[in-house]
Amino acid sequence: MNLTVNQCDDLIVITVDESRLDAAVSTRFKDRMREIITRTRCPVVIDMRRVDFMDSSGLGAMIAVHKAMPGGLALTLDGLTPNVARVFRLTRMDSVFAITDSTPQQEKRA
Amino acid sequence: MNLSGQQAVSPEGRRRVQSQPMFHRVFAANPMAVRAVLTDVRSRFRDNVDDDALGRLELVLAEVMNNVTEHGSALPPGDPGGRAPSIHLCIVRHDHGLSCAVTDDGVSLPADCLRPRDLPDVATDGLPEGGFGWYLIQDLTQALCYYREERRNFLAFCVPFQPEHPAVPAI
Repeated sequence: MNLTVNQCDDLIVITVDESRLDAAVSTRFKDRMREIITRTRCPVVIDMRRVDFMDSSGLGAMIAVHKAMPGGLALTLDGLTPNVARVFRLTRMDSVFAITDSTPQQEKRA
Repeated sequence: MNLSGQQAVSPEGRRRVQSQPMFHRVFAANPMAVRAVLTDVRSRFRDNVDDDALGRLELVLAEVMNNVTEHGSALPPGDPGGRAPSIHLCIVRHDHGLSCAVTDDGVSLPADCLRPRDLPDVATDGLPEGGFGWYLIQDLTQALCYYREERRNFLAFCVPFQPEHPAVPAI
């Protein structure tokens, strides 16, 4: 499970360096993310730009991470690719998660 | 074999066979095998199917095959006495969508999986971390049907090219 953690002044940015959040990696993803976020004292942004595919086990891991956030701290998902955004939309979890897209327009794939 | 039997009537009145891409694979159910097969399915249909339909196909197949991997064995996954079910996957592209047949020799599919269902209830028990798989399968497919014959489960469905308007006419 490849995650890159960048501690900024008042924010932690966790970049998911995996192309797939599926049943093969969802448990490791959940465990590793929990380790990181339970120690944090500031809001967390998860950079999802490199994730091309997510299934319901990946979504379940995301929800577990959301629930594991220390009270009062925000969790934001940034840069969902179309296949990942679809899963959040169809399950209506897009109303539960804070979702942003800070990808510059010219870098987006056609 | 890359041809399927999509038939049309020629001007002479004879049936001719249109070439349509198809995909067939037999493999033991485990998460890495499912991942590899999904990657191959994507490559197979990339030139003939738009990204949106391909994304929906990949998600549905992932959910169906993950279920076989997780629940198909009579013993818990990882049990040394357990045997991973063998999955047969067949996909055919036709004019309105992608017809899929997934069969496996695991335990019977519980009838509850195929009953119409809504999303897990968010209000009663906090946020659910599971229970989305069959909702997604039902939401993204048409003509979903299941039967069990001898020791195999047979699941068939269509992933339409146009999700908003049912494209496959009732027979």
